[in-house]
Amino acid sequence: MTATVPAGVTPEPGEKGNGVAIEVSDLTKVYLHGPKAVDSVTFEVREGEIFGLLGPNGAGKTTTIKMITTLTSATSGSIRVFGVDAARWPQKVRQMLGFVPQAISVDGDLTGYENLLIFAKLFFVEREERNSRIREALDLFGLGDRADDLVKHYSGGMMRRLEIAQALVNRPKLLFLDEPSIGLDPFSRKQVIDHIKQLNRDFGTTILVTTHDMAEADELCDRLAIMNLGKIAVSGAPRELKRSIGGDVLTVAVSGKVPDSLPAELGSVVSIEKGTVKVLTIDGERAIPRITEFFEQNGATVDSVSLSRPTLEDVFMKYTKTSLQQEGSFREARSARRSITRHGS
Amino acid sequence: MSTIQRSVSSAFTIAEMEARKIRHDSTELWMRTVQPALWLLIFGEVFNSIRNLAPGGFSYMQYIAPGVLAQSVLFVAIFYGINIVWERDVGLLTKLLSTPSSRTAVVVGKAMAAGVRGIFMGIMLFALALVIGVNLRFDPLDVAGVFMVVVLFAMCFACLSMTLASFLKTRDRMMGIGQVITMPLFFASSAIYPISIMPGWLQVISAYNPLTYVVDAIRSLLLTGDYSGVPFDILVLLGTTVFFVLCASTMLKRLIE
Repeated sequence: MTATVPAGVTPEPGEKGNGVAIEVSDLTKVYLHGPKAVDSVTFEVREGEIFGLLGPNGAGKTTTIKMITTLTSATSGSIRVFGVDAARWPQKVRQMLGFVPQAISVDGDLTGYENLLIFAKLFFVEREERNSRIREALDLFGLGDRADDLVKHYSGGMMRRLEIAQALVNRPKLLFLDEPSIGLDPFSRKQVIDHIKQLNRDFGTTILVTTHDMAEADELCDRLAIMNLGKIAVSGAPRELKRSIGGDVLTVAVSGKVPDSLPAELGSVVSIEKGTVKVLTIDGERAIPRITEFFEQNGATVDSVSLSRPTLEDVFMKYTKTSLQQEGSFREARSARRSITRHGS
Repeated sequence: MSTIQRSVSSAFTIAEMEARKIRHDSTELWMRTVQPALWLLIFGEVFNSIRNLAPGGFSYMQYIAPGVLAQSVLFVAIFYGINIVWERDVGLLTKLLSTPSSRTAVVVGKAMAAGVRGIFMGIMLFALALVIGVNLRFDPLDVAGVFMVVVLFAMCFACLSMTLASFLKTRDRMMGIGQVITMPLFFASSAIYPISIMPGWLQVISAYNPLTYVVDAIRSLLLTGDYSGVPFDILVLLGTTVFFVLCASTMLKRLIE
């Protein structure tokens, strides 16, 4: 989709600033009679990036977001949003952010246009700009011709798009998306993801997203953190995380004279059997041409190369499962479950 | 814009939201006019035949019209918390609270939204009174005064309802508590009979019942034209409203935690 930047804005196209958007340090939330929902969490979201917060149900993602959006107060620790202390200046912080909660939260009894209008007013968008921004956002998200229909007659995908359109009208510096593609069909899901990327690219909006969909997180996020039992288990760029749990495996089908070793910088041979060489390497995609070249120079003919690599799902499983096993006494597993029942999915 | 201007603007926007919804679909409010109509047409008609029940030489129909108006607004307001619980359930409340508006602005906005519904009920009741020929003082200033009282009253009880919603958290419980509250308030007020004919203990209770002051104010404006008690009535109502606004603003966040 081609991006059309609505008039009257000076976006920072594609520029990922050096500033810090969110600074969370030592953040803890304890619910009354409950376990520690969030346990001394520290992380940083940089300006202009798409940051993912992943983790199993009840890991504390939603609670963390609620604290940053000032919907609930932290038990201890501090949150700064673009340098502003969230505990001291909640309204100032809320003025900078947009929030798309897990449940679809557009008002079914209003039209699409009215939904955007009301929230534009609540975010104090200038009167002169309101109408044009709303119309442009609706058109951009393919809702222009349904603008005056009641939202309860929209499809799920349309409602989600309307919610993201809301963010486009209000132009928050920071957008929170809690499970944005949950319950959407693949086509609507792709549309929603494209729109999120577009917001990030065209307006420099910093985005914090939670999701259960690892493929989606991989595609969307510049960096991410995996939470488990209220703590951050690991964080980094998806590529680094995947690399951290082992290299890529190239399966090379060769004929002719097969070399039995490789230069160290290309990787190491794992196994050779009947015309198939398995090579463990780092950054497999880049290694493919170089390894092919090496084989051909040494008199072999490469018929095919296939690459299998650790997925973000492997990373997720590793960090959430091991820590479950490490600390996961029966009692803790139960309390994690209780917190799910109490705070919703 | 100053903080106060922003808060006022947010509150009006939230009330506007409600007005727009009513414009799209007012079925619920139309159905809510059935009950006051029955009170006026049946209860009022029957008791009309008892002479001297209403003080000051007014017919009984005239006497209860303000009471029925107050009652219908009470119902709309006391069940307003159900809307809030519903909005919580669908995530709308979370969204509303994540806007830059202050908690108080959201509560006042929601209360004003209940006021918008109250105005609708008021218009319906005035129309009904005109149609069945209940003789009230339809002086524009009096009518304006009545609407002011109605809005304030709806705000007051909507805030009570939102406070209760913060503790009860489900629609079923809100339905239940609504029933528990409305009838005692109604019967312990001057809505359908004068306080002077109540037993002593009930008279004491009625003195602490906000509905008594609402009915008194509306009745002064629409019936007697004796405004001497009105400032005190409005003062009591205003004080109660401010109290419940503060309660609801403090408690509302319990709903989303």
